[in-house]
Amino acid sequence: MSDAYLALEDGRVIEARGRAPGRTRGELVFTTAYTGYEESLTDPSYEEQVLTFSYPLIGNYGVRDERFESDRVHPRAAIAHEFTEDVAEWLDAGDVPAIDHIDTRELVTSIREGGAMKCGIAVGDGATPEDAKAELSECRGMSEHVDIGKRVTTVDHTTYGGGDTDVALIDCGAKMSIVESLVDRDATVHVLPYDTTPGEIAALDPDLLFISNGPGDPANFEAAETLVDEYVGDLPIAGICLGQQVVARALGGTTEKMAFGHRGVNQPVRDLDSGQVVMTTQNHGYTVGEPGDELDVKQVNVNDGTAEGLANEDLDVLTRQYHPEAHPGPHDSLGFFDDVLALTAENRNVVADD
Amino acid sequence: MTDEDTTDEASADRTILLIGSGPIQIGQAAEFDYSGAQACRALQEEGARVVLVNSNPATIMTDPDMADRVYIEPITPEAIAEIIRNEDPDGVIAGLGGQTGLNVTAELAEQGILAEHDVEIMGTPLDTIYATEDRDLFKQRMEAIGQPVPSSTTVSLDDGEAVQSLTEDDLRDRVDAAVEAVGGLPVIARTTYTLGGSGSGVVHDREKLYGRVRKGLRLSRNSEVLITESISGWVELEYEVMRDADNSCIIICNMENIDPMGIHTGESIVVTPSQVIPDEGHQEMRNAALEVIRELGIQGGCNIQFAWRDDGTPGGEYRVVEVNPRVSRSSALASKATGYPIARVTAKVALGKRLHEIENEITGETTAAFEPAIDYVVTKIPRWPKDKFDDVEFTLSTAMKSTGEAMAIGRTFEESMLKAIRSTEYEPATDVESVSDAALETELLERPTPDRTFAIFEAFDRGYSVAEVQELTGIKQWYLERYQRVSKAMDAAQEGDFTTAATAGVTNAEIATATGEPVGDVETQVPGRTYKQVDTCAGEFAAQTPYYYSSRKPEFYSGPLTDAAAAGELRVDRDVESVVVVGGGPIRIGQGVEFDYCSVHAVQALREMGIDAHVVNNNPETVSTDYDTSDGLFFEPITAEEVADVVEAADADGVMVQFGGQTSVNIGHPLESELQRRELDCEILGTSVDAMDLAEDRNRFNRLMDDLGIAQPAGGSATSEAEALGLAGELGYPVLVRPSYVLGGRAMEVVYSDDELKEYIQEAVRVSPDKPILIDEFLADAIELDVDAVSDGDRAIIGGVMEHVETAGVHSGDSACMIPPRALDTETMRRVREVTEDIATALDTVGLLNVQLAVKDGEVYVLEANPRSSRTVPFVSKATGVPIAKLAARVMAGESLDEIDTEERIPEDVSVKEVVLPFDRLSGSDPRLGPEMKSTGEVMGTAGTFAKAYDKSQDAIGKPIPDSGTAWIDLSAAEFPDPDTEAGQALRDGYAEYFDLAAFDADAELVSALREGRIDVVVSRDRDPLEVCVEEEVTYFSTTASAEAALEALGATDEPIDVQAVSDRPRTVKRWGASDD
Repeated sequence: MSDAYLALEDGRVIEARGRAPGRTRGELVFTTAYTGYEESLTDPSYEEQVLTFSYPLIGNYGVRDERFESDRVHPRAAIAHEFTEDVAEWLDAGDVPAIDHIDTRELVTSIREGGAMKCGIAVGDGATPEDAKAELSECRGMSEHVDIGKRVTTVDHTTYGGGDTDVALIDCGAKMSIVESLVDRDATVHVLPYDTTPGEIAALDPDLLFISNGPGDPANFEAAETLVDEYVGDLPIAGICLGQQVVARALGGTTEKMAFGHRGVNQPVRDLDSGQVVMTTQNHGYTVGEPGDELDVKQVNVNDGTAEGLANEDLDVLTRQYHPEAHPGPHDSLGFFDDVLALTAENRNVVADD
Repeated sequence: MTDEDTTDEASADRTILLIGSGPIQIGQAAEFDYSGAQACRALQEEGARVVLVNSNPATIMTDPDMADRVYIEPITPEAIAEIIRNEDPDGVIAGLGGQTGLNVTAELAEQGILAEHDVEIMGTPLDTIYATEDRDLFKQRMEAIGQPVPSSTTVSLDDGEAVQSLTEDDLRDRVDAAVEAVGGLPVIARTTYTLGGSGSGVVHDREKLYGRVRKGLRLSRNSEVLITESISGWVELEYEVMRDADNSCIIICNMENIDPMGIHTGESIVVTPSQVIPDEGHQEMRNAALEVIRELGIQGGCNIQFAWRDDGTPGGEYRVVEVNPRVSRSSALASKATGYPIARVTAKVALGKRLHEIENEITGETTAAFEPAIDYVVTKIPRWPKDKFDDVEFTLSTAMKSTGEAMAIGRTFEESMLKAIRSTEYEPATDVESVSDAALETELLERPTPDRTFAIFEAFDRGYSVAEVQELTGIKQWYLERYQRVSKAMDAAQEGDFTTAATAGVTNAEIATATGEPVGDVETQVPGRTYKQVDTCAGEFAAQTPYYYSSRKPEFYSGPLTDAAAAGELRVDRDVESVVVVGGGPIRIGQGVEFDYCSVHAVQALREMGIDAHVVNNNPETVSTDYDTSDGLFFEPITAEEVADVVEAADADGVMVQFGGQTSVNIGHPLESELQRRELDCEILGTSVDAMDLAEDRNRFNRLMDDLGIAQPAGGSATSEAEALGLAGELGYPVLVRPSYVLGGRAMEVVYSDDELKEYIQEAVRVSPDKPILIDEFLADAIELDVDAVSDGDRAIIGGVMEHVETAGVHSGDSACMIPPRALDTETMRRVREVTEDIATALDTVGLLNVQLAVKDGEVYVLEANPRSSRTVPFVSKATGVPIAKLAARVMAGESLDEIDTEERIPEDVSVKEVVLPFDRLSGSDPRLGPEMKSTGEVMGTAGTFAKAYDKSQDAIGKPIPDSGTAWIDLSAAEFPDPDTEAGQALRDGYAEYFDLAAFDADAELVSALREGRIDVVVSRDRDPLEVCVEEEVTYFSTTASAEAALEALGATDEPIDVQAVSDRPRTVKRWGASDD
C-alpha cells in the first residue's frame, strides 16, 4: 500500500512513495535541469507551486546550505522519480511534502500537453486518494495568490556589499545570486521589501532601481510597478524575470500566462543585435506579451520567440526574462550585471560633464 | 585561417573529400562509420558533392549510395593524393575520421599536396589540431587563458637524435628531471600522436618509467613523451562541446567516468549525465569548456576531459586534462545518449552553417543551437577481448584494450547499468563466487579489470560495506550504494519480493532463473516495461523522432502492460506491416562492424519494400543505432524477453535474427519460445531456427552432408574426455578441436597428441560447459574457401566465392582472402556452386548462407555452413557490387529471387581482404596466426593483380611491406617448409632477392638487432622474437602463405597504385561456377 497520492486537475490520482509527509496543493510545474536541485528548491519563484524534476535522480551530491538561494524551501511540495535520503530529510525538516517512485516523464508530458495544472498531495501514514483530492479542491490559480509577494519578500531593508554604486533591489522573491552578482561587481545592494514606496526610494537615493525575480503573476506586484512608473527616466531601471514583467507593465506593456512556462537551464536565447545564441536559466510561467511603446525587444527565445530581453536606451531601462545570475545553470550571461551597472556609471558621467 | 574566412562561403556545388578511419581496431571502432555516414548525408543535404575514402569495406559509409564517389583504398598520403588528382575536391574534412583521418590530413598538408591542389581544410584548422596534440603547446594555450592543467613536462629527443643512440645515463637524467618537475612519482607517462593512448599509463616505479619512456620515444611521431602529475583518484569527466564560426557554443552533455582518473575513458564505465558533480562545479567546467573551444578556434564538435574533486568549496576543484578537437568515440556516445547528432552538425558547421540555422531533427521545432536536457541515465560499458587472450594481463589503465562498448538507457542508474551489463554479453573470466576474500579484494576490486563490476556485486553479496568497497575501488559512494541495492534486491527476490529487483532493472527471466519461479508467475507480480522517447529536451517539446528506451513502471503497477500501455510514448504505426531487426551488440573479436552493416542493409531493404523496420541494438558506435536509420530505434539489451517486449509494443509481424551475428542468432530459440508463450502473432523470418540449429549440431549436420554426398573432414563430437581421446585416435593426429556454439573460433586449436588434447578439454569444457566439443581431421595444405549466398527457398544465388590466402590452421576470420579465387579450376568451381546450392536447399534456407569449404586433391569438403549473415558479406558486396544482405532481407520478407531484379557478378579486378590484429595493444599476447580468431577489423585492397591488391591491403592495415633492408628468415617451425627442401630454399631465395638475410647465434643478439631497428622483415613462428617485432613495429609473417604472398607483392611494387572509385571497377555479369559458354 502506498502512503502518498497526487491528485491532478485532469481527474487522475497517482500513487507514489512518500518521502516527506504532509498535505498540500499548488500549481504543478516541471524543471528540466539535471543539476542545481538545491538552488531550485530554494528559489522563491517556486512559491505556491509543486515542483517536478524531470531528471529522475535528485540529491546525488548531497545538500549544502552554501548553495541555497534563500533561507527556505519554496515549492509547496517536490516530486521526482527518486530523491536521495539527504534531500528527503531536508524537505521533511522544512515541512515540505515530497513524493517519488512516480513516472515523472509521464507527468511532464501531461503538463506539456495540458499546461501547468492544479494538484493536491497527501503524504504520510493513512493518506488516502480522497485526501489528495480534497487538497486539490482547495487549490487556487497562481494569479489568485494576490498576497504572494508578502510571503517571499524581506521584511526589513537589508544591505549587502560596500561598493560605490547603490542598488535598490526590490525583493519580490529575489534569489541570493542576484545580490551576490551585484556585490561581486562592487555594488552596495539594498534589499527592500516588495511593497517599498516611492518615498522610501527617494530617501535612499540609489543609483539603480532593480526589480527582482519572484513568483506568480506580475499583476500582483502593483507597488513595484508604481516604483518603475515613478522613477523611469530619473533612475536607470533593471529587472530580472518577474522584474522584467513588472517593468513592461509599468511602461505600457502587457503580460500573459504561458501554457506551462519555461523552467530549465538550457533555454536558448538569441540576441537580435549580435546574432549570438546563449543558453540561459529560466523559471517563469508568465511572459511579456506586448512590450508597449517604450520598450524594444532586444533578445528572444529561439524556441518560441517570447521576449527575453527588453531595453529603452534613452530611459536607461534594461531587463531580462531569464536568470543571468544562474544558480542553477549556465554562467553565459553574467555580463548583464556589468551592463546594468554601466547604466549608472554613464549617469554619473553625464552629471560630471555638466 | 580565421573565423571570418569561412563565414560567407556557400556550400552548394562544392566537392568535399571525407576521410574515414580505416579498419576497426582497439581505440578506433565503428564510431567513425556512424559519424562518417551521418556527415555524408548532412553534406549532401547542403548540396555538396561528397567524395569518400575508407579502406574498411565492412562500413556503411563505403556503400555506393552514401557518397557521390566512394573509394575503398588505403588511407595513405599516396592513395589519397591520387584521389585528390582524380576528383579535384575544394575541401577536405579531416575531423570525422578519427586519429587516422587527422594524421593523414596532416601528412598531406605537410607534403604540400593540399596546397598544390588548392584543397582547403574545412572545419577545425590544423594549427588547432597541433595545439591539442602537442602537450607543451596545449599547456601554454591553457595557461594563457587561465585554465588549470595538471603540471607536466616532456622528455624529448633533440633534433636529429635517434632513440637508439640515447645512452641509459642520458635517458635517466632526462627522466629524473621530468619527474622532479611534476612533483615526484607516481606520474603518467604518455606518448603523443598515438591512437587510444597506446603506450601510456600511470607509473609508480622509476625503473619502469625509464623503459616506458624509451619505448615511447621510439613510437612517438614527434619523438617526445609527456610526463604528467598524476591525478589518480579524481573524478574523470568529459564535456562534449560544439562551436560554430560565429562563436556560438553549446555543451551537448557531460559524461562521468565511474572509474576514477587513471583509467582511459574508453576503458571506463561511463555515465551521462554526471551524477556526483554539483551545479556550481558543473557550470565551472562548462565555462572552461566554452573558453577552451573558443581559444582553440574549433569549428564543430570537440571533446574536453576534466579531472574534478570535491575540495570543500561549493563547486569543487578541476583540471583541464585533454582536448580532442574532433568527433570521437565519446561524441558518438554523446550523440546516442542525448539524440544530438554531433557528426551531422559538425559537417554542417564545417561548411559554414551557424548552429541556429541547423534544424534539430528530433523535435523539428527547435534548432541545433540548444543544449540537450536529459531525463534518464545512460551507462556505457566497454567490451574487452579477455576471452580471446588468456595470456594478456587485463589490468585496465590509460591505454585501451577494449574492442567495443554497449550503452543502455534507464530511469535509474541501476536500471541503466544492469541493461548495459546484459548488453555487453560479457561472461566474467573469473568465477567471482569461488575466490577468497583476499583475492577478491586485491585481484578483483583494487585492481581494475573487466570483471570488476561482477566483483563489486559479489563483495556486497558477501556483506562488504560501501565504505570498504569504496576504499578498494576508489569508486564514489553514490555509485556503490546503487550496486549494493542491486545485491539486496536479488536477496529480496529470494524472499519472494520480485518487484524490487524488477524495478532495479533485472529481467523477469533473470528473476525466474535466480529464484526457480516460472517466468510467467514472476511476470504477473512485477511492473511491466513501457517505452519512453529520447527527445533531447526532457519532455519539454513533442519529439518527432522514433528513438526509444524501455523502463519499468514504479512498484504500484503489476503485471505486463499491453497494447497502448506497453507502447508508452511509441509513435510507431502498429497497424502497418512491420519487422524487428535484431542487431549485433558491442563490437568484439569475431563480431565486428560487418554485422551492423548487415543489420542496416536489412532495414534499408525492408523500408524500400514499404515495410516498417525497427531495430533493437545497444552499440552506440553504429549506424544501426542512428535514430534516422529505422522506423523505430529501440536501444535495448538483446535478450529474448526484451526483444519480445519490442515485438509486442510495436505489434510487429516478423523478427529477423539472421543479421546480427552470433548475438542475434543466439536468441533465436529462446525468442521463438517467448513469442509462443506470449501468444504473439509474430514469426521469426527466413531460415527456421531449427535449421540454424541443425547447422551447428555436428551430428545432425554430418548426417545431412552424408545424405547429400558432400565430403567433410572426418570427425565427430565428444562429450567426455575418453570419448574425445578415442575419436582423435581413430582420426590420427593432428586434429582440429573446438567447442560448439562459439564466436570466431574461440578456443579452437590444432592438437598434436593425447596430452595436448587432455589439456585442451579442461579449458574447453570450462568455456562451454553444456555443449560437446568437436574433433575433426586436420586438412593440411588444403585451399580454404568462403562462399556467401542468398536463397529464397527455391533457388540460390551466389554473392561471391573467396579463396583464403592462409591454409587450414588459421581461423577463416584471420586469414587474408581474395575474390575472385585464383587457384580453382572450372570443375572445382562448378562443384563449389553445386555444394552451396545443395546445402541451401537441404537447410530450407531463406536468406543468407555462408559455407566454408576446403579443397584438397580436387575434392571439395564442407567445413561449416551457417544459414545467416557472415563477416564476409560486406566484403563480397563491395567487391561485386551485389548487395546480398539486402537481397536476403527481401526474400525473408516474402519476395522471390525471380521477382527481384538481380544478377550474379564476378569482379574483373582482384580484391584482397586483410585483417588488423591487436597484438600491439595487448602486450603479452601470442602474435602468431592460428585457429583462434584474434583480428579486430579488416581492410580491402583492390587492383588488377593479386600481388598488387595484397600489397595495397598491407599498406591499408598500416604495415607496408618493406622492399629492401635486412630480413631474418627462420623456417624452423613445422608450419614452414624445411629449409633444406626445395620449397624452403625457394622461400629463402625469394627474400634474398630483396633483403640481406641475417643470421644470429644467440637470441639476445636477435632481440637487440630488432630493438635497434636493424631488421626490416621477419619470417618466423618463434613467439618471443615475434613479440619483440610487435613492440618494435617490425613487419613479420608467421605463416608460409603470408610470407609467400608478401614476396608476390614485392614483385608488384612497380605496378601503378590503381586507385579507382568502387563504382568504376569492372565486373562481369556471370554466375559463379557456371561453365564458360
